Amino acid sequence: MADFSKISPFQVDPSAIEEAVTFSPEDFEPASEGEKESMVEKRKSVSYWKDAARRFKANHVSMVALFIFILVLIFAFIGPKLIPYSYGDQYRSSQKLGPREFSEGEALIAKASSYFDGFYATALQPGSITAVMKGEQYVTKSGKTYAFTQEKNEEGVIIGFEKSSGNLVKVYEKDIDPATGAVKNATVLAEAPSEPAEGASELKLVKRVFPHMFGTDSVGRDLMARTMYGARVSILIGIMAALIVLIIGSIYGAISGLSGGTVDFIMMRIVELIYSIPEVLIVLLLQVVLREPLQEWIDHSGSSLAHAAGALGSGIICIFITFALLYWVTMARIVRGQVLQLRKQEYVTAAIALGAGNKRIIRRHLLPNCVGALVITTCLQIPSAIFLESFLSFLGLGVSAPMASLGSLCSDALQTITLYPYRLIYPAVILTIIVLTLNLVGDGLRDALDPRLKK
Amino acid sequence: MVSYTLKRVGAALLTLLLIMAITFFLMNAIPGSPFLTEKSTPQQIALANAKYGLDKPLIVQLKNYVVNYLKGDLGTSLKMQEGTPVKDIIFHQGKFVLSIKLGLISLAVAIIIGIPLGCIAAYNRGTWLDGFLRVMTTVGVAIPGFVLATLLLATFAVKLHILPTNSGQLTDWKSYIMPIISMSFYYVCYVAKLTRTSMLDAINQDYIRTARAKGVKTKMIVLKHALRNSLIPVITYLGPVTAGIITGSFVVESTFQIPGLGKYYVQCVMSRDYPVIMATTVVLSALVIFMNLVVDIAYKIVDPRITLTNKEA
Repeated sequence: MADFSKISPFQVDPSAIEEAVTFSPEDFEPASEGEKESMVEKRKSVSYWKDAARRFKANHVSMVALFIFILVLIFAFIGPKLIPYSYGDQYRSSQKLGPREFSEGEALIAKASSYFDGFYATALQPGSITAVMKGEQYVTKSGKTYAFTQEKNEEGVIIGFEKSSGNLVKVYEKDIDPATGAVKNATVLAEAPSEPAEGASELKLVKRVFPHMFGTDSVGRDLMARTMYGARVSILIGIMAALIVLIIGSIYGAISGLSGGTVDFIMMRIVELIYSIPEVLIVLLLQVVLREPLQEWIDHSGSSLAHAAGALGSGIICIFITFALLYWVTMARIVRGQVLQLRKQEYVTAAIALGAGNKRIIRRHLLPNCVGALVITTCLQIPSAIFLESFLSFLGLGVSAPMASLGSLCSDALQTITLYPYRLIYPAVILTIIVLTLNLVGDGLRDALDPRLKK
Repeated sequence: MVSYTLKRVGAALLTLLLIMAITFFLMNAIPGSPFLTEKSTPQQIALANAKYGLDKPLIVQLKNYVVNYLKGDLGTSLKMQEGTPVKDIIFHQGKFVLSIKLGLISLAVAIIIGIPLGCIAAYNRGTWLDGFLRVMTTVGVAIPGFVLATLLLATFAVKLHILPTNSGQLTDWKSYIMPIISMSFYYVCYVAKLTRTSMLDAINQDYIRTARAKGVKTKMIVLKHALRNSLIPVITYLGPVTAGIITGSFVVESTFQIPGLGKYYVQCVMSRDYPVIMATTVVLSALVIFMNLVVDIAYKIVDPRITLTNKEA
């Protein structure tokens, strides 16, 4: 092997040089297995995200919080599909029910439900508000269709398959014995499967009466459906507001941090000014001021944007505008700080020295290193947005009925707190769980993504 | 120090001016006139506009408004209590005193209970007590104030009948309990969390080790060395606390039916009584800005290192 170590820089000996650069034939032998082994990567290099994920998984508190938050997400987003009630429907006969209670009609049908094998009732359930309409109708059961003709609008009627005979029958509520659930005077509608006529409408059969788990409010709306819906609205508002803050704050902060000098100075003074404004006062003002012009714009402008805004309601749009105007300053400060700090790093200097352009430095060095801080701040922004939204809705300035948010549900419950205190508990507890779990997840993310910040 | 103070005062005044301008333009952006009722004719509205100077150009109105405020004239109410000077409504009808009383007690509770709790947690780090306090403070900062207020109301006033549902003028000690708890609980928890963290930071400092090496008793170390130095972050937090307590007063005063400034503000925002809204916004903002100013200056006095360390950050 060529041995360069014998050459001393202080002593120039030509023979030593010659000896050193003389190669023996063994030097050109293929490497042995043992030598190859030492060149192979022993352990896979761990990427930043994998490392962060590992740290996050090791944090039990955050993992449990994340799990609970996912449960709340399921409750809010999948739950409404599982229960037969919707957030806006008012069930006339089921007003002011307590948790897990049935209204009189519902109790009657629940009693009689052992008589039926799948039924359609006109006092509740999918066809609850309307009566059974006149005309051709059909029901399907295990792939077979049973058609029948309905003579006139009928209320208080149950259509279902008689368990004993398997016939499709019609029973009036008044013919059900309230004590035993015994049914008399059942009229047979169809005995065997038959083809439905042209334009016949289908009745969907249900298996059982679904209780109002959280009770109902004074106009007969199911509170569990409303709580699910409210949780969904609150979470969506939180996420949207956090995204708005992320976009505005990071762009502003990045511009300020990158340009430096006078631009940075002026931009930061503006941030300081906005920062020192007590935002809740301005938020309340904005809510009142913006509401009417927004509603006007939604009603009269034909644009698709106005349509989308109309679907959300002016209250929610106001909240977004407020966040866009006032709440981005913290994010801007954090991003600017990060950019300033990163710009001075040796590897950025090295990249500049190697001729990298601004674009490449931002994409390769600044952005990936900022991502941690961005994710953390955005995640912690969500609960604070939910806090603000519920606060505004509580004061009667957020979402408007029949829409619901957790804050407006609490506020509704406060009106009747002396009589129905339980109406407050469910939305309040879910609101607290959402904020708590998001805070804990955010803390866990901070520890995982930016261990330097850990305290 | 003097130039720093002057700079801060200047910034505070600028912020206040900005807030006045914002409220002014926002109020003017509201469509419709405050005098518009079912019965009023266009002439009547024009007359009323002229009477209150609402027919002049906006910039002149803004100037008049600022000048009048500097003179201490906050205008007169247009709706809620027609013709009454706003200054009387805010300061002489007991609203301001009521709110300030509540706010100051809540602030005091936040400090007096929050800081010792944080110290206890840090002192007993790793024990069940620390764990318990940690759970309590974490949950505490996640409960929105109005939820706590309504839950308290449901439990103690409606179910158990121990405390009154209507706190009214706060004449009796019982009526203070629930409003104060709902306003200060969040801040007690936050201050406790903050104190614990900065206490633990301080405990690892060299001067603590030196004190220990010299044989100073643990209690003395905690009280004299660690606590004093760990209070600095707590002081900075007092500015935001003031703002938060004002926000809290909106909810708490509405929930417990206390006729204070917070409840009144929400009412006049809803009824669009412009002069009252403007005056209340400015008074409350001034309060918050003043508190922030005091905190900033106090911060600098307590910790002279601030300027050195803050230059880079």
